[in-house]
Amino acid sequence: MSERTGDDSGEGRRGPRTFTPDFLTELFRNPLDPGYGDAALRRARTGQPARPGWSVSPVSVVVIVLLGFLCAVAYRQTTAEEPGRAQARSGLVAQIKQRQADTDAMSDRAEVLREEVNRQRQAALGGSQATRLRNLEASTGLGRVRGDGVVVRLADGPAGQGSLSGANVGPAEVLYSDLQGVANDLWGAGAEAISINGQRLTSTSTIRNAAKAILVDFRPVTGPYEVSAIGPGSMRKRYEASRSALTMRKVAQDTGLSFEVRDADDLTLPAAPEPQLRYAEPAVSPSASPSGGDESSGSGTSPSPSGGGR
Amino acid sequence: MIAVLALLAGVVLGLWLDPTVPAALQPYLPIAVVAALDAVFGGVRAKLDRIFDDKQFVVSFISNVLVAALIVYLGDQLGVGGQLSTGVVVVLGVRIFGNVAAIRRHMFRA
Repeated sequence: MSERTGDDSGEGRRGPRTFTPDFLTELFRNPLDPGYGDAALRRARTGQPARPGWSVSPVSVVVIVLLGFLCAVAYRQTTAEEPGRAQARSGLVAQIKQRQADTDAMSDRAEVLREEVNRQRQAALGGSQATRLRNLEASTGLGRVRGDGVVVRLADGPAGQGSLSGANVGPAEVLYSDLQGVANDLWGAGAEAISINGQRLTSTSTIRNAAKAILVDFRPVTGPYEVSAIGPGSMRKRYEASRSALTMRKVAQDTGLSFEVRDADDLTLPAAPEPQLRYAEPAVSPSASPSGGDESSGSGTSPSPSGGGR
Repeated sequence: MIAVLALLAGVVLGLWLDPTVPAALQPYLPIAVVAALDAVFGGVRAKLDRIFDDKQFVVSFISNVLVAALIVYLGDQLGVGGQLSTGVVVVLGVRIFGNVAAIRRHMFRA
């Protein structure tokens, strides 16, 4: 077989042009370098005998040494790279775990310290002042509050429901502006504290949308949305008569999203995270633009969570 | 016999000297090894076919390694990344397989 392949390739390349099969077929059929066949043919012509047995010339020995060297170096290189990659990965994992543990420990500590501060303050201040402070905290959203109130529940309708009616009624999805309207009208109906899906609203809270997500104070909330409000007993009636309640009822009828208002007893609304208060400062030089100063926050007497006015 | 000894000597030399490969040459190393293996299996098969030729072996070894490195370099420069070297590995792999099959037929008559 070997002779035949040698002849084929050797003669085929030298003789008149023959049409060989395409490269891949040739590659699969005869993987040996045609040069060996040519060389054997040349030797046969000149009558030079092939080297007997397994002996090779010094040049080949050098090349084989080189080959072993190459293999060893490549092996060394691969094994040297592997631990580096694994180390980097496990190092990152360890860092993440470490930071998570740190965060947990620190938030625990913050909790303990906050309680401590509250106790100290209670002791330091007189009874009436402490009560006043607590009331202020409750109304600004910095303290946890409990009480009776209403829960407004909004949920996206089933997909594709709205378009079936053919009317131009908009998507059966809760929009950020719906949440804004509900919150604003709840404040207007006399609510003392509002939270959306457990996110307490303060006077500086924002309800905005980013792409498909609704962000309350820059934290995403997902449906169904529950807007809980604590307020006087008349709040429910006043809210039901408000503009957003009427609008949402109509929207719910038309598009199929769900909207319901119910009374709830003994609601507990969590405290909002510590707000970042900004203070106005007088301009240093008269040439400075008066609009350069920060607008002061938290001064509004009627809190508006919409954030749309900015 | 001499060839096997030479191979072992090369491996020992490589492990003993433990040279550091420059970062610029590192991508070429694996494909150079594949190309060298192709030359070696071709040589072994030729030996068994009794048509081995020293000059052919040496030239094919060196040119294989150089061409493989050149193709990797070209792939980098053209922006096709590793795809060109994938082609090289496929072609050389097919050749190695074919030659190993021929060696196997020689040794076991199967």
